[in-house]
Amino acid sequence: MATATMVLTRVKVQRRFGLALRVTVVIALLALAALPLLLGGDVWAQRISRAAIYAVIGLSINTLTGHAGQISLGHQAFVGIGAFAAAFMASRLGAPLGFGLAAAGVAGAFTAVVIGLVALRVTGLYLALVTLAFGLTAETTIFNWREFTGGGAGAFAPRPAVLASDHAFAPLCLGVLGLVLYLDWRIVSTKTGRALAAVRNDERIASTLGVNVTGYKLAAFSLSGLIAGLAGGLFAHWNQIVQAMDFEFQVALVWVLMTVVGGLRSRLGVILASAFFALLPLTLPNFLSSLPWQPPFLNEAVYHVLPPFIVVVMLLIVLRCFPGGFGQLLRPATAWLSGKRQS
Amino acid sequence: MKRRQLLKVEGLMLRFGGLQVLNDLSLSVREGQIVGLIGPNGAGKTSCFNCLTGIYQPQGGRVFFDGRDVSHLPTHRRARLGMARTWQNLGVIDALTVTENVMLAQHQRAGYSALAGMLGLAGTWHRERELRRDAAEIIEYFGLEEVADERTGALPYGVRKTCDMAMALASDPKMLLLDEPASGLSPEEALGLAGTLRELRDRLKLTILMIEHHVPLVAEVCDYVYVLNFGELLTEGEPAAIQRHPEVIAAYLGGAAEPTEPPEWPLQPEGAPNGTA
Repeated sequence: MATATMVLTRVKVQRRFGLALRVTVVIALLALAALPLLLGGDVWAQRISRAAIYAVIGLSINTLTGHAGQISLGHQAFVGIGAFAAAFMASRLGAPLGFGLAAAGVAGAFTAVVIGLVALRVTGLYLALVTLAFGLTAETTIFNWREFTGGGAGAFAPRPAVLASDHAFAPLCLGVLGLVLYLDWRIVSTKTGRALAAVRNDERIASTLGVNVTGYKLAAFSLSGLIAGLAGGLFAHWNQIVQAMDFEFQVALVWVLMTVVGGLRSRLGVILASAFFALLPLTLPNFLSSLPWQPPFLNEAVYHVLPPFIVVVMLLIVLRCFPGGFGQLLRPATAWLSGKRQS
Repeated sequence: MKRRQLLKVEGLMLRFGGLQVLNDLSLSVREGQIVGLIGPNGAGKTSCFNCLTGIYQPQGGRVFFDGRDVSHLPTHRRARLGMARTWQNLGVIDALTVTENVMLAQHQRAGYSALAGMLGLAGTWHRERELRRDAAEIIEYFGLEEVADERTGALPYGVRKTCDMAMALASDPKMLLLDEPASGLSPEEALGLAGTLRELRDRLKLTILMIEHHVPLVAEVCDYVYVLNFGELLTEGEPAAIQRHPEVIAAYLGGAAEPTEPPEWPLQPEGAPNGTA
């Protein structure tokens, strides 16, 4: 009896110790991630904002592709419409930032629902083609509609005085990222996540279990569009000017690829991969051209086109070696941190 | 004393292009009955289920469930009225664990909206815990505790089949539509299923319509049997009468209907006992 109690106590102590250790590790990692923001100066604050915005976009694609199993190759349309809506609200109407972001989210959601209505009719490859065509069309039509977007000159999206500095703006981006992370977590922990998993895997089975397949597909599109629009609004104020060329197809492609490389349905994986691909074009060319030895025929211009290649190479490695993306590689660590027993 | 009809089908017509899959099919199931739907392969049994659940939209005919015309309701609305089904090739979602699958089947009685769940409103956390507890009970009833946290995709056929059945029950239905519940089971397991089905009917007041090839099981549990052949109703009646029906024998054996002596049971379960459906 006494021994049994002792064993139980020891298990409890170990667990509590394990919990303390895990919490410490999480705090240490967060602190490490916050270091550049605290010590890194304006450049790093700006980069962190960009990384957070990319992560929000990644989670938007994760909602649609990861949870609902629908593909979108036209995400630049949702993000871009959000960005132009926010810029329009800020520069033309002089609305406060909050209203601008709300308008960005609504605009993104509305656009995505329109595409969602198409997605109810076509799936797979055809949906990919439809979204691709929609994104390309949006670029040349909506984004060049002079009254709304300022045409080629672009639209200004000034920040309010309190958020004028990059150090003040970064927490806003991180806050939105936190909010989206919370939504994603609640989705997978409730009936919504299970219903979406059923829709993704077998629509017939889903419907006979009482899941409104049509409703959930549209909901996934609208939520994904809402998040993408929000990210667009943040991007507008991050850059303080929005131009049609910010939302070209290549960007949308990188977003989809980074989400896959990060690992569909893995929040941490998507965040890490998004941050990586957000920062790569900013840091890699400078880093390479600052190296003391430069290989022949290579120069800064070449370094600037490297990142897309790296994305593709990483995609191939991921698809070949670990289809679950970064999330799959990190699973042992995340399982330990979340306190799950390894079997 | 006749109990009321829970399911009633009138003149179902289903065509795929030039192929007449179901032709003027009518049947009815009374509350608390276990009814069998048998017939050779390709007779249209599963198509009939698909029309009942709304997956196929038949060209003609009407479906009444629980006193209302559900002919034009989408599948998920029919499910919410209390129609649950299992599938010949299993209705489990392979990417989810057994527990998640059972909780998925509880979708319609979760009691909170998708938006509330997403926002994490107060009641939803509590409700999720309740659903998880209910799921654990159902899982225990079916003896699936050992594999509760395994993905169903990684489990053997028999276990996934049991999971499918557990899911059908988890939705808290009035009526079960079972598509070959005994396929893939050994003869002993199939007869064991008879006990389970009766228990479901008596304890949970369920009504069951099942497609089945395993004839001893049909003879054992069914109150009434419909025989389908080439999309048409060949005959109907109590199991004992059906098994002596000359046309039934002919449909199954494909020969002329001339039973010279009272047959033992000519309808062989297709592919059983090691059968695949």
